This record gives sequence, C-alpha cells and structure tokens, in this order.
Amino acid sequence: MTEHQTPLSKHHFLLRRLHSLSGIVPIGAFLITHLITNSSIVWGKLGGAQHGGDGGMATFQHEVNFIHSMPFLLLIEVFGLWLPIAFHSVLGVYYATTGRGNVGSYRFQANWRYSLQRLTGYFGLIFIFYHVATLRWGWDFLPFTNVFIAEEAASTTALALRGGLEGGLIGGVVVGGVYLIGITALVYHFANGLWTAAITWGLTTSAAAQKRWGYVCAGLGAALMLAGWSAYVGFVTLDIDEARAVEAALHGPAEGARSANSDLSADAGRLERE
Amino acid sequence: MTTTQDQSSTNSGAASSEAAEKRTVRFRIQRCLGPNKPAHWEAFDVPILAGEGANVISCLQYIARRPITADGKETDPVVWDSGCLEEVCGACTMIVNGQVRQSCSCLIDNEAPNDGDVISLQPMSKFPVVRDLWVDRQRMFHNLKRAHAWTPIDGLHDRGAGPQETAKNQETRYIFSTCMTCGCCLEACPQFLLVDEPAKWDESFVGANTIGQVRLFNLHPTAKEEAGERLEVLMGPGGVSDCGNAQNCVKVCPKEIPLTEGIAAMGRATTVKAVKQFFTGE
Ligand code: SF4
Ligand code: SF4
Ligand code: FES
Repeated sequence: MTEHQTPLSKHHFLLRRLHSLSGIVPIGAFLITHLITNSSIVWGKLGGAQHGGDGGMATFQHEVNFIHSMPFLLLIEVFGLWLPIAFHSVLGVYYATTGRGNVGSYRFQANWRYSLQRLTGYFGLIFIFYHVATLRWGWDFLPFTNVFIAEEAASTTALALRGGLEGGLIGGVVVGGVYLIGITALVYHFANGLWTAAITWGLTTSAAAQKRWGYVCAGLGAALMLAGWSAYVGFVTLDIDEARAVEAALHGPAEGARSANSDLSADAGRLERE
Repeated sequence: MTTTQDQSSTNSGAASSEAAEKRTVRFRIQRCLGPNKPAHWEAFDVPILAGEGANVISCLQYIARRPITADGKETDPVVWDSGCLEEVCGACTMIVNGQVRQSCSCLIDNEAPNDGDVISLQPMSKFPVVRDLWVDRQRMFHNLKRAHAWTPIDGLHDRGAGPQETAKNQETRYIFSTCMTCGCCLEACPQFLLVDEPAKWDESFVGANTIGQVRLFNLHPTAKEEAGERLEVLMGPGGVSDCGNAQNCVKVCPKEIPLTEGIAAMGRATTVKAVKQFFTGE
C-alpha cells in the first residue's frame, strides 16, 4: 500500500494516541493543579490564616514554596512539562494542518468546537510560551514584564499581571487581556479535548454517552474557568505592599528590607485583624 | 418521497393557465467544462407550478432541454449525475444552497417557495469534477476496498450453515447497511479533503462512511473473520484517528446513520487491538 513509510506514518496510531494522552496526562493534570494553586490567592482566605498572615497570600506562598522545594525541579519541569507540551504542540499543529474548518457552511455546534479546538491550540501555545518565558525564565526584555521571585510569590505575580512596575494602564490591559484569553483558551482546549478523547479512545460509544460526558467536561471546564479567572482577579486586586509585608514576615526579618512598608510588624498586625 | 412522476410537470409550466400558481425560480449553477478547467457561474430561469412536486433534477432536465441562460444566451446543457431519483443511490449528491444533499429529493416547493427565489447548485468539492455538477466518487469505492468492506468467500465446499445473526446485532448493523456511498458525510467533513492523486488516497483520511462500513462488517458473523485486517487499515495513516470529531458527518447523512457512534466504536476496537498487540505481540 504505502511504498515509503515515514516514522510518522509507521507509528501513526501510536503517535495519535500519545498526542491525545499527553494532553490529559501530564498537561491537563498540571493545568488543573496549576489553576487551583493560583486561585489559592482567593480561596486561601477562606481557609483562615493557618499559614500565617493573610490567608490568601500566605497560602499561595505556601503552595509556591512546596513546588520550589521539590527535588530535581528542573528535571521534573523538562520531562514532565516542557517536553510533553512541545510534543503535544508540534504534533497538534501538524495534525491541525491536515484539516480545513468549514463552520461557514456547516454551522453545527460540534463543528464550531472543532474549529475552536484548533484556534485555542494555536493561541494557547503562544500564551504558554509567553507565560513561561516571562514568569519562569525571567525574560524581562519583553514589554510589560515583572520578574517572578519565588520567595515573593504573590507580590511579584500581582505586579507581573499588571504589566510590571511601569506598565501603567496599557500594560495592565495588555497583560490582563493576554492572560484572560490565554487561560480561557487553554481551559476550553482541555475540556473539549477531554470530551473528544473519550470518543477517540472509544469510551463514549453512544450519542447519549457522548452527551453525558459532554456535561461532565463542560462542568469541569466551568470550574477551571472560575479558578483561573478568580486567580486573575485576586492578583489584580491584591494590595502589593500588604503582600510584601506578608511575604517578608514569612521569610524572616532579613528579607523584610525589600518591603516598601517601613513598619512591618504593625502592618502584619493590621493584616491579622482584618 | 417519490419524485419520478413529477418529471413532466415542468414541461407544461410555460403553457399553464393558472398564472397564480406559476412562479419562476432562478438556478445559479457553478459550471466547469472538464477536469481541472476553471469554474464559472451561469443562471437559468425555470418556471415552476406549485404543488406539482418539481425537484432539482426535474429542473435540471428542463434546463437540459432548453439550455438558455437567464440573460438569453445559448449555452451547453448542464451536466449532472443521477440514478434512482428516490434517494437510494447517492449519485445525484451536490451542494444545494451551500448544503450538501441529494438533489433528486430536494423539492423546489420547499427550497424556493416564492417567485424569484434563487437556488444555487455546486458540485461536491471533495471529489474531482468530471463536468459541471457531475463528480467522480471513485475514491469512496477505493476506500471501501482499502478497508475490506465486504464479506469474504469462505471456500467452494459446503461448510454447513453459517453462524446465527442475533437480533441485537442485526439492529445495530441494519442502519449502517443503508449507506449509499453518496459522499455527504465526506463533503461536510473538515478532515476529508480533495485528493487529486489516486496514489495518495491510501494515506489520506478514509472518512466517516468507510469507518461505518468497517463497523458493519466487523459485526457480521462471517465477515468478522477479517476484523483484524480492517482495524489495521483504520489504525494506519488516514484511519479512524484522523477524525477530528467535528461530527458534521452524522448531521448531514441523509440515511441518519449514527456515524459518530460507529467512529467511537472503532476507536474502542482499535484501542483494544493496540493493547492486545502490545501485550501479546499479535
Ligand atoms: S466526526 Fe470525524 S468523520 Fe465526522 S465530520 Fe467530523 S472529522 Fe469528519
Ligand atoms: S454514511 Fe450517510 S452520508 Fe455518508 S456516504 Fe453513507 S449515506 Fe452518504
Ligand atoms: S438519484 Fe439516486 S439518490 Fe438522487
């Protein structure tokens, strides 16, 4: 049948299935934990102040500390995230070029989802790259950036999401827009991918099952959207001076020098009363 | 819906005395004088008598008899393909007002109820055009062969009665057996694209109808014997994993074949086969 087999055509099925799997584990699983961790800036307040200081900022700091205390963090990142994401993206972009969307002629819901899946894939890929480059690799030569410092997780994240110290309104709107669209795109891509994966792997073999699983995926997607958006709102409305104070208090007085507030203990005390 | 008895109705259109019921429908037709020739549009006015059941084919017959465009120019008769004229052969499939469907079962009273309404006709875009509205659906039949969509002959000697078909199996299979290889599911599929070179067909997406036929034959008590071969085709390049789950196929299939369920069932069968292969090496 096929005269010259390329590695791509020889392992066609395996690669397709690995592409599907990699979107769920590890990428999707990471997306879930990442969004839940980020939204701790909001839900952390509910859990009280068991991590010290203001619940939200301290809980977030606690989560970040946990991640950064993991052994072989770089290896985990490279093999658990960056390579799977690269694999999923390269194959995904290639696969996307094998189709041609036609929502113009066939305006069915599922057909819109098909086209959106490809569009969100492209945008999500650019967004992840931008996000990791600025907040993980510290590429501060890009416009409207603020370097993330793990010990000052909440305050540096909040500044980054506002387009940096000198970002002003434009920086805040640009970065905020990119993040909100990026998060929305990725959550959609994951939830819809989870729905199609169940067909691909043959779990939902009846139209009724596909519908039911669709509700589950939509519910999961909605919850993740909420987590992502609330994290954004939480960081944008964060009082950066307060955050610095909480972080300083958590890391001992030596690092308190970074704080813009001179009277740390009074500040922390005020926070506790709130 | 039968349409055959209505063919002569348009003859009398011009001479009809009941002016109130008479209307004119304009056909905009995408024409092409041969393979790889450029396409162009031509318009034709066709008189219609309400309630006489005219359909797209009967109007094309009118145009064939009187190939004069709406602005009065004489032109070549429009070419199309058709067979049964009752939506069972699939030959007359084309794009009517932007939607793929059988033109023989497309009634003018539904599609263009008012005087001056326009109906546009285009050939399917996923198959090479032979001429005008006539396309070459060879690739569909090639794909059925590619996927062993038949029941193998098990020898000439008498092997006794074949295995019994269960009622449940029959119920699942029957609807898949109604596929008429019309091509609607492929025309609407964003993953199935025009491939001019037959040499590349074997690596290109097989499409929903062939996946449905694999479902049909893999459930057949005798044809089952070749289930593995068929699944192998579906696991190769252009197989079931090339489906992007846009689910247009199931929406446009005139036979309402549950193609997406067939696709998912084949997704499951290939998953199981791959896992088995991994552990047993078979
Ligand atoms: S579900 Fe698959 S076969 Fe059907 S239209 Fe979509 S991509 Fe094509
Ligand atoms: S599956 Fe339906 S749409 Fe596709 S070729 Fe068969 S009858 Fe036509
Ligand atoms: S002519 Fe057979 S389906 Fe229309």
